[in-house]
Amino acid sequence: MPVYFLEIIVVALGLVMLMVDAFVKLEDKRSIAWIGMLGLSVVFLLLFQVKGPENTDAAFWQFYSANDTTALFFKGIAVLTTLIVLVMAVDYSPVVVDQTAKPEKGAHPQSGLGEFFALPMFACAGLMWMASANNLVSIFVSLEAVTITFYILVTYLRRNVGSLEAGVKYLILGALSTGFLVYGFAWLFGITGSMDLAEITTALAKPDINTTAALFAFALILMASAFKVGAAPFHLWIPDVYQGAPTPITAFLSVGSKAAGFIVFLRLATPFLASEPIVGKVTMVLTVVAALTLLFGNFSAIPQKNFKRLLAYSSIAHAGFLMMALASAPDKLVEGSKLTPVTVIAFYLGAYLLMTLLAFLVMSTMRKVQVSEEIDSYRGLAKRSPFLAFALLIAMASLAGIPLTAGFWGKVNVFLLAIQQKEWLLVIVGLIGAGAGFYYYLKIAASMYLSPTEKNDDTSAIAISPLSRVTMIALIVAIIAAGFAPGLIFGLMG
Amino acid sequence: MTFLFYIFAAFALIGGIGVVVYRNPVSSAFSMILSFLGLAALFIQLNAYLVGVLQILVYAGAIMVLFLFIIMLINVEDEEKRRFPFFSFLGAGGIAVAFIALLAVVLKRFAPGEATIPKLTALEGPGTSDTHQVGELLFSTYWFPIQIVAILLLVATVGVVVLSKKELK
Repeated sequence: MPVYFLEIIVVALGLVMLMVDAFVKLEDKRSIAWIGMLGLSVVFLLLFQVKGPENTDAAFWQFYSANDTTALFFKGIAVLTTLIVLVMAVDYSPVVVDQTAKPEKGAHPQSGLGEFFALPMFACAGLMWMASANNLVSIFVSLEAVTITFYILVTYLRRNVGSLEAGVKYLILGALSTGFLVYGFAWLFGITGSMDLAEITTALAKPDINTTAALFAFALILMASAFKVGAAPFHLWIPDVYQGAPTPITAFLSVGSKAAGFIVFLRLATPFLASEPIVGKVTMVLTVVAALTLLFGNFSAIPQKNFKRLLAYSSIAHAGFLMMALASAPDKLVEGSKLTPVTVIAFYLGAYLLMTLLAFLVMSTMRKVQVSEEIDSYRGLAKRSPFLAFALLIAMASLAGIPLTAGFWGKVNVFLLAIQQKEWLLVIVGLIGAGAGFYYYLKIAASMYLSPTEKNDDTSAIAISPLSRVTMIALIVAIIAAGFAPGLIFGLMG
Repeated sequence: MTFLFYIFAAFALIGGIGVVVYRNPVSSAFSMILSFLGLAALFIQLNAYLVGVLQILVYAGAIMVLFLFIIMLINVEDEEKRRFPFFSFLGAGGIAVAFIALLAVVLKRFAPGEATIPKLTALEGPGTSDTHQVGELLFSTYWFPIQIVAILLLVATVGVVVLSKKELK
């Protein structure tokens, strides 16, 4: 099966879900999510079955790269993220029903829920296209398909002021950053005369390239990409938007949008990093951005009291580690080492997916019994639900990078790459950041296991839906398995 | 011709500033039309007739009419006078000035003739108007991005319907 069938299947699934929502009389609209979940599971399995291109339609392949194993890995990330987001969305659906518009007389009491399940499918297709995009045009349209879906999903709880505020902030800043991206593309086209990334790479590598213009184009693209991945100093929107958005969408943003940002940035930065005349300055800028992001993300996370905000800052911190991998550019690639920025970032994103989604799954399960998202409200969780507490403990341990978890190997790879490229500044800043990470992640673990409960705390047991439980167990197993054998994730990269 | 360029560029810029400065939404909307007209003229100067005409038909025509309708329907009032905190004003202004200075430096070091944009060849005969050419490219070479845009529009439509559903009091 050719690889581009996968996106077609995902889009078709989304359309089927919309149609079912519109035309089939359903008792409970949550069954629409099942169509998506089953379909995505099948698509995930099909990822291992795809073969190279059969036809040679040059017009098509100029927008979509063939035979790209990294792209396949990123497609896997997109599918898995969407799948787990749908699992969360099923749990979260009472909140969605409650906080979207009240249905009109005679309408289905859950009206508006079906779209909440269908829209992530289109975002997923966009992410998958982006993973294979090799042309400025296809990068741009697929990126926009993803962001516009996110604008809608963030604003989805329209009776909730927080969600509306988050949506407006995200829309305005996102549109501004897109403007910078397109301006950067225009400069890039002006210098190189091409929209094709391979041709841009050749053109930029010429020694007589106008370095000022090339660096300006890079600066514009960097601004937009840093916004998308939440790297300092363009990270200010992240805490507000993450806090306001519906929890499953926050998870989708923090994994899907970040992965998307890095895929795009990897593709766009590669021609600049391969260009002899400017690579030194490009790496220098990336180093500064990475160091700033590491410091901002990790230190701002320390005083946070709200769990969702803490995870938002944590996602900035992780963007810092990912930028660090990118800043350790391969201008002096060590022979025989399989650590390149691409593999390191792919590994890190894979591990990041597992642990972040696990944390968000726990959070959206908790949302059913309590509205508060303060860290204090997690105290005594170990007694209320040992399973949830254990799942969150594993997620936090992995996010902090404790050995024998997937997150540990993610960080180790980043540091190894930085040491290989002798980026000592980044290694030191990274170590400081990781140290701060230990504090604020384990603070949550301590709150769950050690804090004494107070008199008016709710101590009733928490019910976990079977679907969430199975997903959580799968994620825990994956985190620990990848912690013992990091080769498992590398193996998936082909 | 450069003389005309400066005139229309000034139109576009003045219109853009007007959108931000006017407190009355209707004045803002009309400034936007001025800005779009300036832009359309710039496109036409670049021989991009189709883009120029679309700019007028779609943006200045359809979209702005819609804007004005909405402004009248929901009866937007004049924006209240706001006090800008001095430091954020200074910060924002500083960034804008710095960006323009940077652009000036870049433009000084990048001569206009240096751009390697593929040369356009003048075509003659039937089927060579730019409308025809754009249409053909959209449905042949660029069919793949167009399909993605189609999905994007679908998502946007669904989003509008979901977000603007009538609220029953």
